[in-house]
Amino acid sequence: MFELLIRSKKFLVGTTIVLAIILFGIVGPALTRDPLAYNPYNIAKPPSNDFPLGTGNFGEDELAQLCTGTRNSLMIGAIAGCLAMLIAVLVGGIGPYEGGLVDEIANAFTNVVMVFPMLPLLILLAAILEQRSMLLLATLIGLTSWPWAARCIRSQVLTLKERGFIDVARMSGMKDRKIVVAEIMPNMFAYIIIVFVVSLSIAVLTEAGLSMIGLGPDPSTNVTLGSMLYWVMNGTQKSLPWELWWCFIPPGLILTVFLVAVFIMHNGMDEVFNPRLRRV
Amino acid sequence: MKNPLSYPFVKFILKKGLFYLIVTFIALNFIFLIPRLMPGNPIDRMIPRDTTDIGRKNLRDELERYFGLNKSWSEQYVNFWSNLLRGDLGYATMSAYSFTPVVDAVMSKLPYTLVLVIPVLFIGFFLGNWIGARAAYAKGKISDAVYYLSVITSQMPFYWFAMVLLFLLAVNAKILPTGGTFTLQFIPGFDFASFKDALYHYILPFLTLLIITTGGWATGMRSMTLYELDAGYILYSRQLGFRNKKLMSYAERNAILPQFTGLNINLNNLIGMTMIIEIVFRWDGIGLLTLTAIQSRDYFMMLGTFILTMVVVVLGNFLVDVAYAFLDPRIRTGTGG
Repeated sequence: MFELLIRSKKFLVGTTIVLAIILFGIVGPALTRDPLAYNPYNIAKPPSNDFPLGTGNFGEDELAQLCTGTRNSLMIGAIAGCLAMLIAVLVGGIGPYEGGLVDEIANAFTNVVMVFPMLPLLILLAAILEQRSMLLLATLIGLTSWPWAARCIRSQVLTLKERGFIDVARMSGMKDRKIVVAEIMPNMFAYIIIVFVVSLSIAVLTEAGLSMIGLGPDPSTNVTLGSMLYWVMNGTQKSLPWELWWCFIPPGLILTVFLVAVFIMHNGMDEVFNPRLRRV
Repeated sequence: MKNPLSYPFVKFILKKGLFYLIVTFIALNFIFLIPRLMPGNPIDRMIPRDTTDIGRKNLRDELERYFGLNKSWSEQYVNFWSNLLRGDLGYATMSAYSFTPVVDAVMSKLPYTLVLVIPVLFIGFFLGNWIGARAAYAKGKISDAVYYLSVITSQMPFYWFAMVLLFLLAVNAKILPTGGTFTLQFIPGFDFASFKDALYHYILPFLTLLIITTGGWATGMRSMTLYELDAGYILYSRQLGFRNKKLMSYAERNAILPQFTGLNINLNNLIGMTMIIEIVFRWDGIGLLTLTAIQSRDYFMMLGTFILTMVVVVLGNFLVDVAYAFLDPRIRTGTGG
């Protein structure tokens, strides 16, 4: 599968950008100042040589905030994505393989959860849990965002199931569980990884949105891309927080580039897995 | 007379209606369980922080009795449903709505949210699909440009886009207001002046949501149309000498059907997006109400806004499915599919 994927230009470009942003999140915090170091002499200053991205409402270094924020947001996204993926593989993968009643129930469950408006539900859950850590928020996002991934995996398992080598495995007397582990999963691996990355990107987007309206982890101790937007919205230094463009343009730009890259990567993958789309 | 159940259309609608009833039932049970299973007691939040320990205990007992929380779970469950079916969602405790029924408070804000959601849903759908289909026919550079532009608009964080628009159009260019539903110190009424004022404040949140949703539809429609244009029936009709316009309409009709099934998910996302966009622009809808309820720790209002959002989403989904049944000839006539 990977040999095919590498030949897709969209997939390569998308993956490169995603990896670059992940690298930025890993390396960045080590090279910049403490993102929570407040400096009363440098409040809300525009970009300068000393502070390449300016300073925020409390005199914090925006570049340091951006690096640490990217790392923390990606971490929340990764945890939420893992959880969503795990549920999706269980609900979406086992159902169609077992078939019959199990499949009916799993599919109905996915459809029911899909109707739930995810963001209002998250807002409600986050509001009820007053003490929110990054881990808790990631868990909440993971628990609510899996239906999309479950559908993707379900349809992929359904197509794989019809393929010849599964029939051969079954005829050779392989046990069901072994077919899943030895035949289906290896063929799903690339697909699962990419669905995971898309879940991660959705989680990052959701986290930033929740944090921005003050429902994320405590913004005064946890730096995420959303907490940076939160302080722009709830800033105290200027009458119009929107004047601090250097505080909110960079985190949004990182998010946009990341999400677009993931989308293009996913699109490239779709073309590989679904050859009829390739010329589109 | 023919049995009405034998019409595929009726059957489809009944099936969908039953499904959404089940969804609502599960969601409402969930609402019952959330405050009882999750950590953090809502009663504790209603008690002012500076209450003495004895006062706190007495007040807690009193409130528990008042809300029926000292009864068994089964009794609470029956109470919960009987209140819900009577349309009683409790009373608001937040200062702006002190002790008005939650239903009334939410209902008074609902029009402000729907006035954003409904036009955006439909205009975005038609505009996005139109752009996407045109881009597919255009091919080449224009098609690619539309692809990247629509991917970027649909993928960028909507709340951030709202901030950028605010920064550009309201703070720098000063042509639009920075937020609110009406100008401050303006007393709204049912006249032209207040309509004009609300419209002036409406443009930015509307534009934000419209641009984001249009991008999403355009991306999908472009690839669906390209996919259809490649199909055998189009190639064959082209050989037969059909006019381009006719071919386009054939391809478009087939490409748009899967787009319709996306309307459900789009509606669900749009409600959530609207809630956050309202907060950014201080637009006086459900989203802003939810946030103020959270900030003033008004538990009933929080649950009430969610229940009504849920009802709106379920009803909307049902209507979209009914519309789909009208449009898809396979369901309408019950042949094929």
